[in-house]
Amino acid sequence: MNTFTRQRVLSTLLSNPRSFCLEIKMAEFDDTSLFQEDDHRVAYMFTAPPITTAATNTSPTTTTKSAPGRPAKRRRVSEKDTAAPLPAQEKDDEGRQWPRLFNGLESPSAADLRKKTYESAWPVLESEIESVLRDANRQTLEEVVEFLNSDVHECEGRGRVPAGFIITGPNIAGQDLLFSQLGDVLAELGEGRVRFVRLRAGEVGNLKGGLKRIVREGMGGQEGGGGEDGRMGGGGRRYLDYDLEALRMEMEGRGGGRVVVAFQDSEAFDTGLVGELVGLFHSWQDRIQFSVLFGIATSVELFQARLLKATARQLYGAQFDVVQANAVLESVIMAAVVGTKAQLRIGPGLLRKLVRRQQEQVAGVGAFVSSLKYAYMNHFYANPLSALLVDGQKLGKEILQPEHLEAVRMLESFKSHVEQSVEDGRLDHARLLLENDDYLKGRINRQAAKRQQYLGKLLQSLALVIATEHSKRSFVELYEAALEEGISLDQSPGPFDLGDAIKRSTPEELIGLIKRVMTVVVDGNPSLHWNGMGIGQDAEAAIDKFEALRADVERLIETSKKKKTSLKSKYSSQSRVLRTTVVAQKVQLSRDTATLTEEDNAFTAAIDDFFAFFKTLVGCEPLSNLFLNEVWQYDYHLPYEDVFVPRPGATFARALSRPHDYLGCACCDKANCSMVGTLPATSILYHLYSEAGASINVADLWAAYYALVGEDSEIGMDERSALVLFYRGLAEMRAMGFVKQSKKKADHIAKLKWL
Amino acid sequence: MTVPIFELPDELRLSLITKQFPCREPQIRALATLLNPSSAPCRNLVVYGTEATGKSAITTALLASLDGDSFKHAIVNSIECITARHLYETVVGKVAAAVGWEAVAPRCESVSQLTVELSKMLKYTERPDGFRFVLVFDGIDHQREAPHTLLPALARLSEIIPSLTTLFILTSPPPNNLLTTFTPNLHFPTYTKPEFITILSLSPPPPITPSTTPTETLDLYTRFLSALHDSLSRPASRTLPSLTQASRTLWPKFIQPILARTHTVKEFSKLIVLARVHFQDESVLDPTLSLSPSTTTTTPNPTIKTTDLATLLPTTARFLLLSAYLASHNPTKSDLTLFSTFHHGRKRRRGGFTGGRARKNGSQHRKIARKLLGAHAFVLERMLAIFMAVRTEWDPASGGRIKNGIVEGEQGLDNDIYMSIATLASLRLLVKVGGGGDVTDLGGKWRVAVGWEVVRGLGRSVGVEVEEWLVE
Repeated sequence: MNTFTRQRVLSTLLSNPRSFCLEIKMAEFDDTSLFQEDDHRVAYMFTAPPITTAATNTSPTTTTKSAPGRPAKRRRVSEKDTAAPLPAQEKDDEGRQWPRLFNGLESPSAADLRKKTYESAWPVLESEIESVLRDANRQTLEEVVEFLNSDVHECEGRGRVPAGFIITGPNIAGQDLLFSQLGDVLAELGEGRVRFVRLRAGEVGNLKGGLKRIVREGMGGQEGGGGEDGRMGGGGRRYLDYDLEALRMEMEGRGGGRVVVAFQDSEAFDTGLVGELVGLFHSWQDRIQFSVLFGIATSVELFQARLLKATARQLYGAQFDVVQANAVLESVIMAAVVGTKAQLRIGPGLLRKLVRRQQEQVAGVGAFVSSLKYAYMNHFYANPLSALLVDGQKLGKEILQPEHLEAVRMLESFKSHVEQSVEDGRLDHARLLLENDDYLKGRINRQAAKRQQYLGKLLQSLALVIATEHSKRSFVELYEAALEEGISLDQSPGPFDLGDAIKRSTPEELIGLIKRVMTVVVDGNPSLHWNGMGIGQDAEAAIDKFEALRADVERLIETSKKKKTSLKSKYSSQSRVLRTTVVAQKVQLSRDTATLTEEDNAFTAAIDDFFAFFKTLVGCEPLSNLFLNEVWQYDYHLPYEDVFVPRPGATFARALSRPHDYLGCACCDKANCSMVGTLPATSILYHLYSEAGASINVADLWAAYYALVGEDSEIGMDERSALVLFYRGLAEMRAMGFVKQSKKKADHIAKLKWL
Repeated sequence: MTVPIFELPDELRLSLITKQFPCREPQIRALATLLNPSSAPCRNLVVYGTEATGKSAITTALLASLDGDSFKHAIVNSIECITARHLYETVVGKVAAAVGWEAVAPRCESVSQLTVELSKMLKYTERPDGFRFVLVFDGIDHQREAPHTLLPALARLSEIIPSLTTLFILTSPPPNNLLTTFTPNLHFPTYTKPEFITILSLSPPPPITPSTTPTETLDLYTRFLSALHDSLSRPASRTLPSLTQASRTLWPKFIQPILARTHTVKEFSKLIVLARVHFQDESVLDPTLSLSPSTTTTTPNPTIKTTDLATLLPTTARFLLLSAYLASHNPTKSDLTLFSTFHHGRKRRRGGFTGGRARKNGSQHRKIARKLLGAHAFVLERMLAIFMAVRTEWDPASGGRIKNGIVEGEQGLDNDIYMSIATLASLRLLVKVGGGGDVTDLGGKWRVAVGWEVVRGLGRSVGVEVEEWLVE
């Protein structure tokens, strides 16, 4: 048996074996001849023979050396040696090109095309996301700058250090952007009179270090004097590099100004250090104007509770809130996932998972952005069909290989499309799709236009639905529902169930609604980068229609005002009134339809008209109904989870309790979580281990083990080989940190892992 | 012309300073006499007193008024000096600036070098007759990284340089005061109640309403101050800043009834009764850090306040923090009772064992409630076990809900949980106890760093009453 390989199995298997089966795309990596490295694989297939031989009575010590599955030992080799065994293809691939898919049959130009598409698609989104994040901070920045420039602290907080407390939330990664923006803004506004010094807890260990940084950055980063520890100040004197006097002299030379010191992650700072620094600033306040800013992740109260009262007394400040991660997330999704700039559609399932993880686990948008990037990378790296994402014209015929067409014919959407065609009686079409390559190529070339059309419709519908302001769900939920189930206003109850709300609106509300809808039709929705319906005939017709409706409603309002009645519709008024009359001491109940005036009827008709027209503008199919949606949709959970949310503990537990999941050997198939003698020794020990208490008697463990594999059992191993396997298994358990030698009893081992 | 041997300090100068610093006349006179070259100049002088008793301010003002051709001074604030070396260099720099010395030594690393430099400037240079230099070490007892020979060495300076007076400003008198050769000491005692009131009423608040006269306001303010001083316990309101702070906080609350026109300025006793709640509240002594954001920005922020800790943290982090609180505040032996459903069938939480415990406690002495002892350290693994145990109960959604064939929300420890722990640790809501060891080490010891109030709010935000899960 082969210890090295087994450990390798355990350590490389950080992933769920199911992903191996589900991920078709990963199948290209099966051919080992192409790649020497196994690190990028989802699962490393371990060849079964050594295990079975070990389990069946062969002396295990002899098999180790000649095990066929054993990889070559890694050692440092010279350049010449490595060049030779590498396949020729990989040599010119290195660094520049992506591996060819279809088992290497993909043409280099297609692989190149995928790479180029990725390289053009992602940076657009990245800059988009950054601008969204910057925008989110803008208001806070303005407030902070206003506070720093104002003289509020002159009157009440005289002699105290003005302090701004910026509540950033636990998104510590976001603080970096905020403070660098702040530095830029202050430098711009202060015209050299404001010095901005950022302190991070990691960089500032003690008082001296902090002061050195403040002096250096406060003086504009210039290295004066150049003594071993002193520097030249303005008056020709040398100052120690932590002496604020140097800063004062320098600032006096430049005609004054103020120094803004920002503690970026205040919580991480040693509170004593913050106190000492603030004390110093306070003491220097009559010579250097200091202001401090604190980036606070929790709350000012918690922060203040940690500070000394004497320090708190020296501060005088205001609190600023940053737009929180949850709010930012929606705008990021709008810009980077939903908007027109996103080339790849993140499928509803994955998106839901990402958003859910964001809300429950992660603080900060950074994780979401990197997950998004990972989805893009995955799609373009591993899906050969992603090359089809390029526009139809650019997609030359030479790019499309027979393999592409074959892959397309395997797609779920292709199959359902063909089945649909057969059901609709378009047999020729179905036959051509299946048999004629050129016909299929033509179809493929047309899908880009169809995609644009679909996206246009999708965004238009979403923008209009938001514009009604009647939807109770969040935007992200609406989007997920639209992708998954399509948009249909008729479906009730459903996420897009707006009919009742629209119909119940009063005349004023209806006019407001029409105005909003018209704005959307004309201008689009800037946060989605959707530019409205453009200037085509449809748009003009829509505008005309809405204009006419609005004029109608306004005219009706006027008339009813003249008549001094209130305008109502069939839907808004309580059309049926229960009327009680007492006739001869009997109560009579009668239903009465409230009379609607002529204007009311006209208004009802206008509402109906509006809703009917609105329905023509809003609506789209589910994403999965579209032909070739796999080309531009990415909806796989598993690689994402394996990379971002690995569960090493669970993986180890599974590998040990059900090794056949990974090994794929026939002998243990029936075991199904129970102990069978054919399992590897470590696995058997693990089973025994999980049944045992806090300390385990090794002799008992051995007895139990031997009972399973020993001469009396089906395996029938002799005692010596069993003992060797037992010791090896125990050593592996110890190496993996499950057990250790107990100090209390000599013949016991202590259980270490409980979770 | 003969200089008289003893001459009292100039009355005119003194009266100016006395006016500036009320209630400190004896101290000012004594200080002036001990510093004035023509009165009774001394070599070393120790000025001591608690904070905010006017030591530094009066010394500065007096020295500034005495300054002249034959009298110079330099003040060195020890708070601003990071190391002893920094102190020496600052001394040299300030003395050089005071006497107009050009060739300042580039470095000064020890007391002996300091002596040499000072001698150069003050002893071996021609100075007018009767020249005196006063060197003030403000807060020298708080000097960082000070060698223990610093104070004696500085006190020897004036023996080497005859024209030097060294003045030490300390918080408390040196302990071996009476054992050494005589050094004059000057004590700045804390202000008494009448003195406090005199000082604070010098800067009365603006008239309450346009109709009240300044005299009326002042009158009310004086009586208010007197009541304030009496109501806050003496140690709490001992210093001038804390009393100022308290009066600044309480005054608007106190005059609220007058602004509301329910009471007049004259009804002091009724006002006191109305404001009694505030007077009993010692939290006014806590310095406040922040203004509300609306006072600093011109437009009030219309967005809902979302900066509560409970809304800031992601759900998992909240659960972890609650688990950590439980691990910190429940004894280990009660874990089985609280979190296991295996042995008992139903959970016994609060008071599960009251019967048995009451009998046992009858004979023994009472123990201090665990809640009062603060957070205990716990092993990370125990906290995670508690988290795993309570997770499904607190958050049913996490229990492997199956939707569209996909299991949503996994049980088990994934890396997101460790990430949440790291987040909490970086926010110092969870603190690792004891150095060494990896953060992910399950055997590491931790402690929760948030209080009961925060945890209760946090629990309610996720629908958990933490009270139910605490043993005591």
